[in-house]
Order: sequence, then C-alpha cells, then structure tokens
Amino acid sequence: MASIIEGYLGKRVDGTRSRMPARLDRWQSATGVFLGLFMWAHMLFVSTILISKDFMYAVTRMFEGSFLFSEPHPVIVALSVAFVFAVFIVHAGLAMRKFPYKWKEYKMLKTHAFALRHGDTNLWMVQAFTGFMMFFLGSVHLYILMSNADKIGPFASSDRVWSEGMWPLYLLLLFAVELHGSIGLYRLCMKWGWCNGSDARAARKRLKKAKWIITVFFLTLGLLTLAAYIKIGQEHRSHYGERYHPAAALVLPYSPVQEVRS
Amino acid sequence: MPDTAQNKGRMLTFEILQYNPSDPESKPHMVTYHLEETPGMTLFVALNMIREKFEPDLAFDFVCRAGICGSCGMMVNGKPLLACRTLTRDYPDGHIQLMPMPSFKLIKDLSVVTGQWMDKMSKRVESWIHTKEEHDITRIEEPVEPEVADETFELDRCIECGICVSSCATALMRPDFVGAVGLNRIARFDVDPHDERTTEDYYELVGDDNGIFGCMTLLGCEDHCPKNLPLQEKIAYMRRKLATAKDTGGGLEIRVEG
Amino acid sequence: MKIQYCDALVVGGGLAGLRTAVATQEKGLSTIVLSLVPVKRSHSAAAQGGMQASLANSVMGQGDNEDVHFADTVKGSDWGCDQEVARMFVTTAPKAIRELANWGVPWTRIKRGKRSVVINTKRTTITEADEAHGLINARDFGGTKKWRTCYTSDATGHTMLFGVANQALKDDVDIRERKELLSLIHKDNRCYGAVVRDLITGELEAYLAKATAIATGGWGRVYRTTTNAVICEGTGQAAALETGVCTLGNPEAVQFHPTPIVPSGILLTEGCRGDGGVLRDVDGYRFMPDYEPEKKDLASRDVVSRRMMEHIRKGKGVPSPFGDHLWLDISILGREHIEKNLRDVQEIAMTFNGIDPADEGSKGWLPVRPAQHYSMGGIRTKPTGESPDMQGLFSCGEAACWDLHGFNRLGGNSVAETVVSGMIVGNYMADYCLKNDIDIDTTTVEAFLEKEEQAIREIMSRPLGDETIFDIKRRMQEIMDEKVGIFRNGTELQEAVDELQDLLRRSRKVGIRYVTHASNPELAEAYRLPKMLKIAISIAYAALLRTESRGAHYREDYLERDDANWLKRTLVQWSDPDATLPEVFYEELDIMKMEIPPAFRGYGRKGMIKEHPQSAERQAEVDRIRETLEAEEADRFEIQEALMPFDLPENYKAKNERQGVGYA
Ligand SMILES: Cc1cc2nc3c(=O)[nH]c(=O)nc-3n(C[C@H](O)[C@H](O)[C@H](O)COP(=O)(O)OP(=O)(O)OC[C@H]3O[C@@H](n4cnc5c(N)ncnc54)[C@H](O)[C@@H]3O)c2cc1C
Ligand code: HEM
Ligand code: HEM
Ligand code: SF4
Ligand code: F3S
Ligand code: FES
Repeated sequence: MASIIEGYLGKRVDGTRSRMPARLDRWQSATGVFLGLFMWAHMLFVSTILISKDFMYAVTRMFEGSFLFSEPHPVIVALSVAFVFAVFIVHAGLAMRKFPYKWKEYKMLKTHAFALRHGDTNLWMVQAFTGFMMFFLGSVHLYILMSNADKIGPFASSDRVWSEGMWPLYLLLLFAVELHGSIGLYRLCMKWGWCNGSDARAARKRLKKAKWIITVFFLTLGLLTLAAYIKIGQEHRSHYGERYHPAAALVLPYSPVQEVRS
Repeated sequence: MPDTAQNKGRMLTFEILQYNPSDPESKPHMVTYHLEETPGMTLFVALNMIREKFEPDLAFDFVCRAGICGSCGMMVNGKPLLACRTLTRDYPDGHIQLMPMPSFKLIKDLSVVTGQWMDKMSKRVESWIHTKEEHDITRIEEPVEPEVADETFELDRCIECGICVSSCATALMRPDFVGAVGLNRIARFDVDPHDERTTEDYYELVGDDNGIFGCMTLLGCEDHCPKNLPLQEKIAYMRRKLATAKDTGGGLEIRVEG
Repeated sequence: MKIQYCDALVVGGGLAGLRTAVATQEKGLSTIVLSLVPVKRSHSAAAQGGMQASLANSVMGQGDNEDVHFADTVKGSDWGCDQEVARMFVTTAPKAIRELANWGVPWTRIKRGKRSVVINTKRTTITEADEAHGLINARDFGGTKKWRTCYTSDATGHTMLFGVANQALKDDVDIRERKELLSLIHKDNRCYGAVVRDLITGELEAYLAKATAIATGGWGRVYRTTTNAVICEGTGQAAALETGVCTLGNPEAVQFHPTPIVPSGILLTEGCRGDGGVLRDVDGYRFMPDYEPEKKDLASRDVVSRRMMEHIRKGKGVPSPFGDHLWLDISILGREHIEKNLRDVQEIAMTFNGIDPADEGSKGWLPVRPAQHYSMGGIRTKPTGESPDMQGLFSCGEAACWDLHGFNRLGGNSVAETVVSGMIVGNYMADYCLKNDIDIDTTTVEAFLEKEEQAIREIMSRPLGDETIFDIKRRMQEIMDEKVGIFRNGTELQEAVDELQDLLRRSRKVGIRYVTHASNPELAEAYRLPKMLKIAISIAYAALLRTESRGAHYREDYLERDDANWLKRTLVQWSDPDATLPEVFYEELDIMKMEIPPAFRGYGRKGMIKEHPQSAERQAEVDRIRETLEAEEADRFEIQEALMPFDLPENYKAKNERQGVGYA
C-alpha cells in the first residue's frame, strides 16, 4: 500500500520524499567511477602487447587464473566480463535519464550549446554522444568477449582485430571511451567537489588540464596498441585461428602449458 | 580615461530579435541596425539610442543600469550577459547579436519574465529564515561569527538575474529544474546560523531530479554568473550533504480502519 | 471592466512598500503589492553604503543613542525636518535593523581585538571589545557624530531588499510585477484604490482597497545626470498630485551626491569616504580640509557637493570630454580593504571605466562629479503616513514627505527610513483598514477607468509631428540639470519654469509611432512624460519661490538660511489638470515645539543664518526644562518626553537595549 501511495502521490506515507533520487545519483557516479578506473586498468592491460607478445600472453593467463590453478579457466574471464557488462548496463540505464528525449529538448540543447561556446557544456555534449555510441559499440565488444572468453591472447586478439574486422569498431570505441571516461572522472570531481581544496577555481583549472593529459595519454596508448594488434593480425593472417605459444614454452617441450594445449 | 577617441565613430551592427508573442500577426525575425559607437558605450546606451532613433517600441528591461539589480540579462552573441555592463568595445568586429534569454517566458523582443520565475523558485526553496525562536527586537541582536556572516553574505549576493538559468542546458531542457540560483539559495540558508533547517528539511525541498540531483554539472552557471558566486563549490557541497541525508525509511503506514 | 479587491493596496515594491505590505499582511489583511518591475529589482537594491541605527556596538559608536542620532538628523536637515518624525524614526531604527537581522540580512559583524582603519587619511588601530564580538558593525558616514552606519559589505540595499522581499513571500503577500499606477480612485477626499495598467498586455484594471499606500521611490529621472534607476520617474507622486487634492511637500529639496562616477553617473558609495577615501583635484591635492577643517571630506552631502563644484569653478577640476571632474582616491585604503568592503565599487570602476581603484597612486583614482541623488520632497503625509488631504491614502519611503529629512538627508538615513516608515506606516494603515470599510459604486470606478482609457486613446490618435517624446524628455532633463541644479538663482529658475511649462504643453500634443497597446514602451513614455513634467515644474517653481538657502537648496542670490521668513514647508497642489503651474502654499514649522531649536549646523558656511526670534526663546526654554529635570535626576527619556512628546505604536516606542548600558 505504501508503495502505491508513493507511486500516485509522490510522497511517502510519513510525508517525506523518497531517497531513491539520491541513491540513483550515487549509483550513477559509483558505476561511473568503477568503469572509469576499470578502463584505465583495461587499457594498460591490452597495451601490454606493445611490450611483447609473451608479456600479453602471461597477463592473459593471469586473468584466466594461472596464479591459482594450474589450468586456465576462461570462465573466470567470462564471469568478469559479465560483471563489467552488468555495471555497464546499470550505468548506461542511470545516465540515460539525462539525455534529451524529446525533439524540442534536443533542439534547445543543440542551439544552446552551439551558441554558448562553453567548454564544460561542450564536454557534456561529447559525453552524452560518446555514451550513446557505447550503447552499441561497447555492447558488441563485451558480448563477443563474454562468449569467447577463451579466445584472448596475442594471436587470438589480433585475429579478431584484423581478420574478423573488428578494428573499425575498436577505433571508434577507443575514442568514445577515452573521451567519455576522462571527462566523466573530471565531472565527478566537480560534481561532488572531491578535489575542490581551499581554492575550488584553481583546482578546477588544474583538474581540467590533468583531464586533457590523461585523455591524450590513453588515446595515444590505445592507438599504438590498436596498431600493434593490426600489424600482428596482418602478419598472422595466413595462420588465422592458430593460437599463440609463448617463446619460452617452445624451448621447453614439456612445459605444463604445452601439455594443456595439446 | 582608458576610453580614447580611437574607437569613436566606429560603426556597430546590431542584430536584434523582434517578436511579440501576444500579437497573432507578429512573426519572430531579426532586425539589423547600424549605430555609431560612442566612448564607453554600453548596451544600455546603445539600446536606448536604437529605441530613440529607430524603433520606439523596442522592448528591453533596464532598471539600475549599473549591474546591481539583475534586470537586463540577454543573450549577446549567444552568451547570457547583463547588458548594462556589457561594453561595445569588447566586440572587435563590431557585430552584436541580441536575443532574449531562453528559459524565461518572452514578453516582447528582449524582454522576458524573470521576476515570477524567481518568486516561484524562492517559494519552492522557502527562501526565508525558518526558526522557532521568538525574537524581541528591543534586545541586543544574536551575535554571529564575523566569518559566518561574511560567508552568508557571499551567497546572498545573488541578484536573481537568471543568467545561470539561461547558461544551463539542464534548465533549458527541463523547465522544472530549480537552477543554480535555487541551489545556491539553499546553500545560503544552510550557512546562515539564524536558519534552523536540517539537511533532511532541505532534502524535502530539492531532493529530486528537478532539484539537486538534476544538476549535470555543466558549470555554465559557474562560468557566467555576473556576481561570480562560487556555484560549483556550493552545488557540490549541497549535493554531498543531500545525497547522504538521513532516511526516515518512509515511516510507518497509518491505517484507519472502520 | 476588470476590478480587483483587497484590504490593503501598496503601490511600489521597494523596501518601503514591501515592509508596509508585510505589516498589513501580518495583521491578517489581504494585501496586494504592485510594482513596475520585479520587486527585488526595485531601486532600493542599489543602496550600497548602509543603514543608520544607533546600536553603539563598535568602539567608534560608543556613547551613541537615539539622542545623538536625532541631533545629527535634525542638523543634517538644516532644521527643515519634522522633529517629531525624526524622534519616531531614531527610536524605531535599532528595532528595524535587529528585525532585519532575524530575517536573515547578513550584516557585517564585529571581530574582537585590533582592527586597522583609515581615519583622516591616517592608518589607525582601534580595538573592539570582547563583548562586541559578533554584533552588528558600523562604519563612518557623512554628517554623523558616531560610526552608526550598519552595512553588509557594500551591498546593503540589496541584502535588505532580499530579506524583506523574502519575508513578504513567506507571508504570501500577493506581489504583482509590471503593473503601473496611473491614477488614484477617489471621491470626496477619500481614496478607494487605483487605476493600474498592465505593462505586458496594456490592459487597464481597477484595484479597490480600504487603504492605498504609495511607496514608489524617488523622482531622480527628471534630471539627466542622476544616480537613480531608470524607473525612478516620480509617476507615483504625480498620480497623487493629479488628484488635485493631495499635496507634495518640499519638492525643491533635491539632494546631489558628491561622488557619482563620470560619465555614467553610477554612484560610488559614501562608504568610500566613510572608510577613509578622500577627494583630490587636478593637482592631486586634497582640498576638502581647506573648506571644511572639521568634517573635511565627510561633511554632509549638500556641503561636500557644493564645495566640489566651487572648487571646479575655481579651475581646479580635471578636464575631460564629459566636462570637468575631480578625483576620488580610495587606493589609500589598501587592496585588501577594497576587495572586501568596497567590492561593488571596484567592480563598477573596472567595468564602466576600466580603472582598478586598488591600484596605487593616481592610477587608481576615480573620476567623480556631483549629480542628482535623492528627493527629500514627496507626497505630504502626517507622521502616521496618512495624507492630510485625502483619507485612506498613505505614503512612505522616498516617495513620501512625512518629513524626516527636511532639506538634506544624511547618508544611511534613507534605507533606514524605508523600513522604519514601512513598520510604522504599515501599522497605522492596518489600523485604518480594520476600522474602515469602503463603499463605492461601480459607476465611479468605471468613470476613473474610462478617463484613463480615453487618455490613452487620445495619445494614440495624435498626429505624428517633428518632435518626439524622447526629444521633450531629454530637454526637460537638461533644463533640470542646468538650471535647477546644485547652484540655483532666480533668473535661471524663472527660465526653467517658463520652458518647462512650454514643454508640458507640447507633451500634451506629441504623437507616437506605434499605436499598439501591449508592451509598448513608447506609449508608456508618452503618458508618463506630462506627469514627470509636473514634478519637474513643481521642483523648479518651488525652488524659484524659496528665496533662501537651506540644506541642499542653495540660492546664489539668497545665500542665507532665512529662519525668520522661511522656516516653513512648501506644499504644492495641482488642482486644475489643464494648468501648467501648481498652486503653492506654506506650512509653518513651530519652533516652540522643537526639541532642538534652529542653530548653526557645525559645518558649511558660518554666520549665514537670518535668525528667527523664537529660536533663542525656545532654546532658553529647552535649557530650563533640561536643567530642572536633570536636577531631579530624570533620565534622558523623561527629559525628552518633557521637551517634545511624540506618538508611536507601543512596541516601537519601547526602549532599545545596548551593549554595556542596557536599556539606559
Ligand atoms: C545609487 C544609490 C545609492 C544609495 N545608497 C544609499 C545608502 O547607502 N544608504 C541609504 O540610506 N540610502 C541610500 N540610497 C537611497 C535609498 O536607496 C532610496 O531612497 C530608497 O531605497 C528608496 O526606497 P523606496 O522603497 O522608497 O523606493 P524604491 O526602492 O525606489 O522602490 C520604488 C518601487 O515603486 C515602484 N513604482 C514606481 N513607480 C510606480 C508606478 N507608477 N506604479 C507602480 N509601481 C511603481 C517600483 O517598481 C519600485 O518597486 C541610495 C540611492 C541610490 C540611488
Ligand atoms: C552505454 C554506455 C554508456 C552510456 C550511455 C554512458 C552515458 C553517460 C552519461 C550521459 C553520463 C553523464 C551523466 C550526467 O551528466 O549526470 C555519464 C557519466 C559518466 N560515465 Fe558513462 N556512459 C556509458 C559508459 C561508460 C563507460 C564505459 C565508462 C567508463 C569509462 C563511463 C564512465 C562515466 C563516468 C566516470 C561518468 C561520470 C559519472 C557521473 O557524472 O555521475 N561511462 N555516462
Ligand atoms: C571485463 C571486461 C573487458 C575485457 C575482458 C576486455 C578485454 C579486451 C581485450 C582482450 C581487448 C583486446 C582486443 C580483443 O581481444 O578483442 C580489448 C580491447 C578493447 N576494449 Fe575491452 N574489455 C573489456 C571491457 C571493455 C569495455 C567496457 C570497453 C569500453 C566500453 C572496452 C573497450 C575496448 C577498446 C576500445 C579496445 C581496443 C583497445 C585498443 O586496441 O587500443 N573494453 N578489450
Ligand atoms: S546565481 Fe549568479 S547568475 Fe544566477 S541568478 Fe544569481 S547572480 Fe544571477
Ligand atoms: S549549469 Fe546547470 S547543470 Fe548544474 S552546474 Fe550549473 S546548474
Ligand atoms: S540594469 Fe540592473 S543589472 Fe543591468
């Protein structure tokens, strides 16, 4: 009954307002923080390919649980992806509430943003637009990884990027996520005043600078990484589907890793 | 005087919206005027000259013409500004486009209804002191820490010009949003020691998506407020407070049987 | 026919109007406030410097009380004020400020311990007592013995107005903006309400009320250079004048402020000098001490303004394309002080002149020249705020002349007056509403409405000539500036009166270009202009007739203050609507009832008074009463009561508590 009353009257039975809006706002930010920080880690992880195939291989193994079990368990990866996917969906669902959803609103927003030429408003436009893109691009990526959790590695990934033609999607997704994430984290600091310090205006200037540095850093890193996958993918094209065997494992014929693989 | 004769005589081009929504014949259109610049010319001076010379029924609002009363907000080349303190010399190409502030009801041309909007906002955030104490005004006033008084004053400087509202895309998209002006007002009463309201009381006023949680931190308000109020800081502060407001849990359900 | 009913109708939503409305609404009367603009934009918002009230919290205010405030006000007025009203005022002012504090006005507070201030261009240290910590602070203002002007940085009017307006919103006062009073509905010397024009739709409406208050502020815009807002056109007072019954008191008493900035005329607060800023001439020389050795830059406004013009006439002004000016130097106060206490001043200087007044040396000096600032005159009322000529009509604030300021108002006494008069007059008005009902037939109301409608149709039907409304208005303002300014003389005043009359005739014929009703600024100018001209003529004509110099009214051809012949209040009435001159009467001030009989003010020219024989007589009487009572160990309240009893609602007459002295 209480819920029906609140539903119809917008007031709870003790006459107070629901705490739900507060909760949703906290969750929106919490999922944002999680995804933002996760993406930093993610980019560092995928970029290990720049160091060496072996290193990337080792890191992949690690995620599959090599440090706990003697056998790889891609299901761990699948579950992690599922978890991130869930956060991703929750975040998108919450953030979506802020989108313009009527033509009139959109028109107003667009006219205003163009006329105002205001940095932070434009950043939000970018954020909303990239967020919208990620609905699709991110979902595809996550779904593929979830269903192919065992196919991650120097060759498997490169094949996906090149031979399976994923690179255009990654290119777009890369720009989307790097812009979206760093703007998002900057906005979070502004929104909650986390880094205001004694002089909020000076802090804002510093943060904005830091935000741009981070964006550029991760974009460069991402592009180099993507280039590396593409290069490996091209070279590996004739062996499409073949999995990577670490150099060390080849020298030792009876390495446990090889046993598993055969 | 920094105003030298050098920019005197320059021709300015004004492009001004003209529209009277209450007149069924009227269609919104831009009209262009050319005016010779005078030293130290503000938009207050320019618009009055245009009214006197070309367009006697051009509608716009000025009261104090000194940046104090908040009457004259308008969109100058897309930015909301107090027209009375906007100098033409700050527009090097001499081209100035004037539009009424969106987000407020248009009366005519550049004149919009801000007063009623602000009154509604004031009532919504209950912009007055709430106290149970009865004061005897013959007695010495309650002491207030000087720093606290100054801090209250800082936030009390808002002139309800509406510029923060017109520079906020959220407010434009969602007309029920209280705007930075309303959130700042809450912060102002929050620091005022005379006001006994608690965080939970404020939650009742602005604890929803038309209130504090509707702000998307676009910071247009912060960057355009002519009084330079610390809006980002204060909105963030209120957000932290209200996002963690204690919950009564909805309370018990009262059932009257019979 | 659109008719609105209420108990109390308040025209004007500045400090005075809103405080009146709060008073009536809180007594349970349905109250409507009408205003040309959103009320929080009323000109009260522009008051920067502060509000006088004898709280005596600061060391520099120690010893202050109602008596000192009273003496300052009377001297300031050059004995032109109504001393009973001044007593009512000084007694209520401390209550008003404390009430405002409770309503949230963030008055600047005292910090215990040492504080560095600039007095007389010298940096001095004063020490505030522990007990004063956190109490309301005060600054020095012109013409006062003590530091008595309470302030919130330099946005005092703004914070006060928001405080009072928020209170009105809390009380659910019905506030309606963009409504203009055109005329008062009256019959047999009883006011029934007003004919009002909606400035958005152009529609006319009748508002009927048991009592009507006019609190429409000053009329500064009849001048060209003025510190007043563009809406201060005196149309409220003109509406009263146009009843043909109500009178205006002392219209010739116009104050010129010493330090509006050149060329915009925007005011730089007296607080600049109060805090220690000084005036300098073309040579950078501080000239005020030469003229006024005692009060120097802080003599009363009329005196400083005249000394400045005198100095400019001696060739010591700074030439500029906008005429000669002088410098105001606040850079000596230091950047920190300016950025905290005079921030609005800094903002104005930077925005409008590109000067940062905190810059050291002559770089930070601000160009200033006196300009019209305040109208002491206004709708004549009794001390209760009610018109002596028309029942049910009240007036307060700058629009009124209940006569607190006489011929010169002290800085800081005006915003104080607005709230105090709002409290007092609101109280009496509420009493009136509770006691009286209205009965008026609709035909009378209709006739008043029809008359205004007819007037507007007539304007719209006029052919368009060579002359525009704006031309006539500009000319009126120029005449007022040039001939009815700081220095006045018979010849120029006569010329002014003649030409203004001519303008009034022309203003009744001038056509307009657009003949729409809704939101048509040109039409509004057209019906306001004759009203403004009537005010201008009243000022000029009354100034012409007053052949003496008193306070702000300074006649170069009659330099003396002539108590013998001119200790009287001018009353102006406009009974024939087609006339171009009003009738002028005089109301004697009764020296024998004064608490402080006329004497030298303590600043300005010495020996320029033509004494009234009664002055000495009354002084002797006052001295005698005081001596006798002091011998009987009567306290100051008893002595005051014996000298000049005055009425005030009980709760406002109560004694005020002060730090250290209690209710003494
Ligand atoms: C720049 C400046 C600085 C000042 N500084 C100080 C200071 O520091 N200390 C001090 O004591 N005094 C100061 N004063 C004087 C003081 O501010 C004013 O005298 C006082 O605020 C007047 O208040 P009010 O309520 O009478 O009128 P206002 O505040 O002027 O209000 C008038 C109201 O009447 C309405 N109105 C006018 N005509 C009509 C009409 N025809 N129909 C309907 N409504 C109408 C207006 O819309 C407005 O709401 C200053 C004045 C100026 C110009
Ligand atoms: C479908 C995918 C996504 C959509 C539609 C989306 C949309 C949005 C939108 C519109 C906002 C702004 C919310 C506001 O202004 O209040 C936002 C905030 C944010 N987003 Fe996303 N986003 C998506 C995915 C991501 C991803 C993958 C990341 C990780 C990098 C991320 C990180 C953030 C952060 C940190 C914020 C700030 C949180 C806040 O303001 O509370 N988002 N998102
Ligand atoms: C647990 C979840 C995730 C895992 C395990 C994961 C894993 C990977 C892997 C292995 C790659 C390398 C290419 C490939 O194998 O296809 C990759 C690339 C990429 N991923 Fe993810 N990802 C996850 C979540 C996300 C999310 C949520 C986003 C953003 C919405 C994202 C964006 C990208 C981008 C942009 C690239 C290309 C990077 C580049 O080449 O520079 N990933 N990811
Ligand atoms: S917060 Fe600033 S921009 Fe907004 S109304 Fe107040 S003064 Fe204007
Ligand atoms: S611009 Fe709008 S969205 Fe928030 S930060 Fe300011 S109110
Ligand atoms: S007219 Fe008052 S702020 Fe511009």
